[in-house]
Amino acid sequence: MKVVGITTQQEFYVGSKDRNFRINEFLLIQDLYQSNLIGEVVEARTFNRYIPLNIYGDFVDSAVLESLKALGYDVDEDTIYIAKVRLLNEALYPVQTGSDVRLPEFSEIKDIMLKTSPQNGLVLGVIRNTDDVANGMDPELKNILHTFEETGLKEQTELPFIMDYKSMHHYPHIGVFGGSGSGKSFGLRVILEEIMQKNIPTLVLDPHYEMDFSSSPDYIKNSNVDFDNKFKCMQVGTHVGVKFEDLAAGDLKNLLDAASNLTDAMNNVVDVLFKKRDSYNSFSTRLDMLSQAQEEGSPDRIQRRVETAENDDERKAWEERKVLYLSYDKMCPYNSVKGILWRLRRLYNEGVFSKDSRDIESYLKDGKLVVIQGSTRILQVYSTYLLNNIYHKRRDYKDALYKKIPTEYFPPFIIVTDEAHNFAPKGHENPSKSIIKEISQEGRKYGVFLILATQRPTLLDETITAQLNTKLIFRTVRASDIDTIREETDITAEEAKRLPYLRTGDVFISSALMGRTIFGRIRAAYTMSPHTLNPFDELLEKSKEEDEKYNNILLKKLPISEVDMLNLLIEIEKEDGITLTRERLEEKLQLLTQKGYIKKEDTIFGYRYINN
Amino acid sequence: MDTLNRDLRDKLIRVNEEIKAKYNGIASNKEELRDFIKENIGDIYLSKKMKINELKEIEMLGGVTGVDGSTNRIGGSSPHYIEIYQGLAKNTKNKNDPLFLSEIYTPLIPEKSLIQREEEKEVDEKNIKLATIEIEVAIESIKRYKPYAIIMDGGLIRYNIYAGKKWLELVDICEEKDIILVGVIKDIKTSMIGEALKKSYNDISGELYDRELLFGLLEYGEVIEIDEDVNKKEPQGYASAFIRSSLQPMAIGIDIIESQKKYLKEMVRLVLTLTPENSRGVPLWLDIVDKEVKISDDMIKALMERYLDRAIYEKFFVSERDKRS
Repeated sequence: MKVVGITTQQEFYVGSKDRNFRINEFLLIQDLYQSNLIGEVVEARTFNRYIPLNIYGDFVDSAVLESLKALGYDVDEDTIYIAKVRLLNEALYPVQTGSDVRLPEFSEIKDIMLKTSPQNGLVLGVIRNTDDVANGMDPELKNILHTFEETGLKEQTELPFIMDYKSMHHYPHIGVFGGSGSGKSFGLRVILEEIMQKNIPTLVLDPHYEMDFSSSPDYIKNSNVDFDNKFKCMQVGTHVGVKFEDLAAGDLKNLLDAASNLTDAMNNVVDVLFKKRDSYNSFSTRLDMLSQAQEEGSPDRIQRRVETAENDDERKAWEERKVLYLSYDKMCPYNSVKGILWRLRRLYNEGVFSKDSRDIESYLKDGKLVVIQGSTRILQVYSTYLLNNIYHKRRDYKDALYKKIPTEYFPPFIIVTDEAHNFAPKGHENPSKSIIKEISQEGRKYGVFLILATQRPTLLDETITAQLNTKLIFRTVRASDIDTIREETDITAEEAKRLPYLRTGDVFISSALMGRTIFGRIRAAYTMSPHTLNPFDELLEKSKEEDEKYNNILLKKLPISEVDMLNLLIEIEKEDGITLTRERLEEKLQLLTQKGYIKKEDTIFGYRYINN
Repeated sequence: MDTLNRDLRDKLIRVNEEIKAKYNGIASNKEELRDFIKENIGDIYLSKKMKINELKEIEMLGGVTGVDGSTNRIGGSSPHYIEIYQGLAKNTKNKNDPLFLSEIYTPLIPEKSLIQREEEKEVDEKNIKLATIEIEVAIESIKRYKPYAIIMDGGLIRYNIYAGKKWLELVDICEEKDIILVGVIKDIKTSMIGEALKKSYNDISGELYDRELLFGLLEYGEVIEIDEDVNKKEPQGYASAFIRSSLQPMAIGIDIIESQKKYLKEMVRLVLTLTPENSRGVPLWLDIVDKEVKISDDMIKALMERYLDRAIYEKFFVSERDKRS
C-alpha cells in the first residue's frame, strides 16, 4: 500500500494491488519526512482497467473472460484498490506521495479508539472494520459482547465501542437519531442496559410501553445479566401520579397547561381560586359552584335560588355560591372558569391525581432505572410536573451544599425519552419543553443529563439539539433530517450520503469527546422489547387457538344434526361455560367445515355435520 | 459560409456516387462475390469456438503469449525530439511476470541507439525499431517460459520487411521448439480478392481492397482460408485466413508461418474464442497487452520531468506547440 496522487495535509489517496480497503478502517502512513500519521478510510473504490470491460469502447462478454481464465489469466486479479484517506489530525505538510502505508497495531491507535475501560464505560457495540487491529487488543477488551447479524449472533471480532459516561460531566447529553426500523430503539435499549449495570439513577419516559427489561431474546443463551432488580415500570394513573395536596399554583398551572393551553384569564383563575393545601375535591367543588353561580347571571337571581330552595342543604349551597360569586365573578370570567374545570376533570379522569410520585424518588435514590409509561399526551403532562419536581430537588440539594445548608440528599440522574420531539418540539411552546430546555442548558452543573431519542431531529428544539454533545445517528432517509444532522454534527458529506443506506444497527457516533465520527455497530441486546411478535403472526396464532378451542368442544359432539342444535347449545353452555346463539354455532360449524376439520352431509332428516 | 458549405456538400455527394459506381457489379453482390471467393481465393467455412477443456489443455502446454509494441514521441521537429519504444510479451499463465523491453532514441545522441540499423532510411527508422523490439521481447519471453503459441499484434510480413534477420531468428526458435507463431491483423491492407477479380473481370479497374470487399460478406465466425498460390506474401511463406470474429461486419486477418500451416484452423478458433462478440473483432488478450504496453503522453511527460534536468528538458524537448495551451 502506498500513498498515490496529489496529497494535502488532510486528505490523499492510497493505492494497493492486493488488499481491498474498507470504509472507516484505519491506516498508518509512514511518511519519511514527518512522524507516522494515522488516517481513516473515508471512501473505498476498486478499479479494474479491463472491467467495466471497456477497452477502446468494446464491451467484453463473460464468455471471453471465462476463456481467458481457462488459459490461466484471471482478469479479476488485475483489480486495483484505491482508498481516500483522511488524517485524524492535520499534518504539518502534505503527506509525501509514495509513502508506505500499513495497518496500524492496536497499541498505535488504542488512545484514539478507546477513551475508557469496559469497567468504566458503557459497552455499546463495536467499531466497524477494525478486525485487523482487534487481533492485538488487550484481553480485557476481547469477547465482551456479541453483535447481531443477518446470520444470527456473531462473536466479537472488532474493537469494542465504549462510551465514557463519566465524560458527560464535560460533554453532557446524548442524542439518538434514526428513522423507524433503523435500530434506534434498539440502541436506546442497549444504552439503558449499560446504564442499569452501572446503577445510575435514570428516569425513562416511555410512550411506546416497550422499555421492559424482563425477557431475553432466544439468541441470548445462559447470559448472567439480570435486570429484574434494576428497573421499575410504572404507569401514570396506575402506579404513579401527582399528589394534588403537594401542588403549588405554578405546578398546577403547568399541569393544566399541558392538558391544553391556558389563556391568561385561565392562569388568573387558578391564581385567584387555588388555595394552598387544596385537595382535588375542594378545588374542583369551588370551581363548580362558582360556575353554577355564574350561570344564574346576577346576585339577585342567586338570591332567588336561595329563597326557593327545597331544603336546608340546597339553601346552604346556594348561599355559598353567592359568596363565591360576589368575591370572584369580577376577576374570573365564566368561560375561563369552565375551561379550568374541564381541564382539571380531564386530568382527574386520566388518573393523574390518584397516586403520588414518591416511589419514583425512592427508586432513583436506589440507583434504579424508572420507566414511566403512558400515552404521549399523558406523559407530556406528567413529565412536566415530574421533571420540574425532581430536577429542582437535585438542584436545591446542590445549591444547599454550596451554601453549606444541610438538606436531604438527592442523587444526580439521567433522563431518557424516546420521541423527544413530542416533549421538546421546535417552533411552538410546550410545558415539558421549558424544563427539558432548562436541563439541557444547565443540567450539567447539577449532574442531570438527557438522552433524547427521536426519528425527527428536525422537529426537535434547536437549542436542545445544540446541547447534545454525543450523537448516535442511525439510518435516516428523510432529506430534511439528514440536513439537520449535517448541521448539528461533524458528520462529513460522504458519511451523510451513506445515512439512507445504513444497515439496521449500524450507527455513526459523533462525539465531542472523540472529536470525530466513529462508524460502529450496536451490540446485541440482552433483553427484548415486549412488542417483538409480528402482528400477523399474532393473528395466525390467535385464529389457531380459537379453532382448537371450538374443535375440542365440537368434535366430541359429532355427529351434530340440524335438529340437535338447540340441545347442543344448552350442553355447551353447561359444560364449557360458553354461551352461543344458534346462528353463531352454525357459523362456527361452517368455519370448521371450510378449514377441513369436519364435513357436512345431507340426510333424510336434514343436514348434519360428521367427522371428516 | 453558406456557399462554402454547399460546395463541400456537393463534393461529398459526388464522392459517394463515385464510390458507389466503383463497387457496382460483383463487388456489391454478396452471393456472387462469395461464390467467386470460394472458387478463386479459398474455402469459406464456419469456425467454432474452443471448449473450456481445449483451452485448459493449451494452458497446460504453456498458455498463450501476446506481443505488442508501442512508441511515443515527445518534443518538436528533428533533432529535438525523443522517442520511446516499448515492447511487451505477456503470457496468460504467468500474468504477474510480463516481460517489458524498452528503448530510447533521440537524434541528439545517435550513437546511443542500441538497435543495429538494417537500413539507413530515416522514414523507416521508427518501424524498424518497433518491429525489432517486438521480436526481441518475443525471443526474450520464450527464453523464460515456453508458451504454446505466440500471437503478434499485426501481420507477420511487417517483421520480414523491417527486421528480417531478427525475425528469422524468432521463426527458427519457434520451429525448433514447436511454438506456434501467428499474427493477428486488425486492419487488413491486402488486395488479394481485388486482384483476382481484376484478372477475371475486365470492367473492373483501380484498386479494390480486401477490407472493403470483406465488409459484411462473412457471417459471424465464418473463415476464408486463403489458398497458397493466391497468397503472395513473399519471400518467406505464410499461410493466412480472414475471419469475421465479432458481430461487427469487419473481418480480421490471421497469419501463420508456412511450416505451421496445420495449426491455422486451431489458431483461427483460438482467436474467435478470445474475441468478445460485441467488439471490434480483436482478441481481448491482444487488447489487454496493447493497453498495458501503451504509455500515456502524460506519463512520459512526467517521467521526463522527473529524470531529465529541467534545463535539458526545456531546452531540447519542449516544442513551441507544447507551450500552447
